[in-house]
Amino acid sequence: MKQVIVSPRRCVGCMQCVVACAVAHSRSGDLPGALAESPRPNPRIHVGAGIYHEGFPNRCRHCNPAPCMAACLPGAIYRESKTDSVLVNPDVCINCASCAMACPYGVIRYRPDPLIRSGNTVAIKCDNCVARQHKGLDTACTEACKTGALVFGELDAAMKRETERVARSMTPGPEAWALHPETEPLLAHKRAIVNMNHQEEGRSSS
Amino acid sequence: MKYVIIGNGIAGTNALESIRRFDPEGEIKVYGDETLPPYCRPMISHLLEGVVGPERLPVRSRDFYDKHRADAMLGQRICAIDADQKQVELPTGKTVSYDRLLLATGADPRPVDAEGTDLENIFFMRTEAQVRGMVKRLPDVRRALVLGGGLVGFKAAYGLLRRNIAVTMLIGSGYPLSMQVDETAGKMIQAVLEERGLEVRTGVSVAAFEGNGRVREALLSDGNRVACDMAVIGKGVSPAGRFLPADKIDMETGILVNSRMETSCPDIYAAGDIAECLDIARGYYRVNAIWPEAVSQGRVAGMNMAGIPTDYRGSVSRNVIRIFDLDVMSGGTLDDRDMDDTCRTVVFEDRRRRIYRKLVLKDNILIGFVLVGKIDAGGILASQVQSRMPVMLSDSELASVDLNFATIYSHARYGGTTHTEDAS
Repeated sequence: MKQVIVSPRRCVGCMQCVVACAVAHSRSGDLPGALAESPRPNPRIHVGAGIYHEGFPNRCRHCNPAPCMAACLPGAIYRESKTDSVLVNPDVCINCASCAMACPYGVIRYRPDPLIRSGNTVAIKCDNCVARQHKGLDTACTEACKTGALVFGELDAAMKRETERVARSMTPGPEAWALHPETEPLLAHKRAIVNMNHQEEGRSSS
Repeated sequence: MKYVIIGNGIAGTNALESIRRFDPEGEIKVYGDETLPPYCRPMISHLLEGVVGPERLPVRSRDFYDKHRADAMLGQRICAIDADQKQVELPTGKTVSYDRLLLATGADPRPVDAEGTDLENIFFMRTEAQVRGMVKRLPDVRRALVLGGGLVGFKAAYGLLRRNIAVTMLIGSGYPLSMQVDETAGKMIQAVLEERGLEVRTGVSVAAFEGNGRVREALLSDGNRVACDMAVIGKGVSPAGRFLPADKIDMETGILVNSRMETSCPDIYAAGDIAECLDIARGYYRVNAIWPEAVSQGRVAGMNMAGIPTDYRGSVSRNVIRIFDLDVMSGGTLDDRDMDDTCRTVVFEDRRRRIYRKLVLKDNILIGFVLVGKIDAGGILASQVQSRMPVMLSDSELASVDLNFATIYSHARYGGTTHTEDAS
């Protein structure tokens, strides 16, 4: 089964996943339409900044067992087995915030949402884009991510890639220094700036 | 294997599910005082508030006991056990033998020492039936009196205010929720409630309730009188263990259990509001009578009873409440009596935005916090209290309203040092 695989060290904090997520969870499904909606569509993914201002895509881990599910008073949180996603039934949620207290990652928000027909404020969290997945699409955040911080794929394959990457890093070579913990976030940041400059140049020359 | 579970609250219910998962053959009997299918006790305050109907309270289906092949005998309160004979005595005088017994009897509201408590419209607020009784009387109620400013008193007062009923609250301590929050947060909560019509009186108790069949007035200990057509007694609860043999089962406030949820008596376990176990944040034994801990304790007790050795790490007191537009979350301890000179306090305050955060660290481990406003990511702090991991964040990062998991991850990956003071 494919799932969202997060590699935080690849995140440059561009927030494109945040926008894509909000658009994917809007009524209109496109950015101009989403901006016009009231209430505003909510992103389910949250990009935070680390101590070197490096990005970190903070997203529901769909834990198993899920602490939010155990803490939910009215039993609104359930697991969808087909995509192994932890979901909230908005018709049952009473907005008590018991799940906020249970979630160790702090990824649940409480807001009115254009997809909640009742207009009530309820717990809003990542739904693993189940609606998109059922249509055969990838999740919106992985589709938007340009750096490989968010990838939609098989966990086994990702683990293998990561093992190989670590193995390569053990042998001294041009890539090895990039794994040094102090330089890496700075490097990622630098790369982002370089990329941005490239884009700028491309735009001004064209 | 014969299992007997006394109590059909959420601890007993989770224990039953655990036992059945690991022992498909055993015979399970459940005895309970209340006759409903397992329901969500914390939601009785939402029932009072009127945001949910009674049909929303059950958290398991009607055929729950059948599906788990358990014999549920509800509506009877067990009054004695014989630990030597390994028998439970039913109110009818009949005895039932067990191989493993779970005490999940919960707690009972503490009565008040006042005259006239048998008048109509004086309620405890512990069970679905009691709140249903309150709701039925609401159309005739204009003024209510709430005794106690703890969690039950607060929820009663809040629910009644939401129903546009004027409420007078009598508090022993200086401010509401003094067991959950510190004085600053308590006063903020009180101010919000007072804006919506709550009248708070501190340091007084009720000497007598008066009325002709139905309560009309309360005479206070200071000689004043308060008119009320409903009264709610929220003076705390005591674990329902008085029927147990005290010489066999060690009790302090609750029944003392080890990490396997075993009592001092062989083959007898305890879980939920009756159990007293290690409080992770405080470092000593304490009854933390909250829903999520009852769930965990029930599960762990059930697994151990079914022969799967499982340890419970201990409990952390915590609560989250919404009061009109003010959100409050607290966890661990904020009590001065739990502090020593290895403790430090971090405070962030923005009165204009009604934000207040106080965190207490002991040896650089977070042992308590209260958040007023911006509680969405408060679970990060709660899990820090539970994990007892030394805090790597600076004070300002820890108390920030923008606290994000990114900061914790970043410190763990790139930081490597432990902050004891703010890195500026």
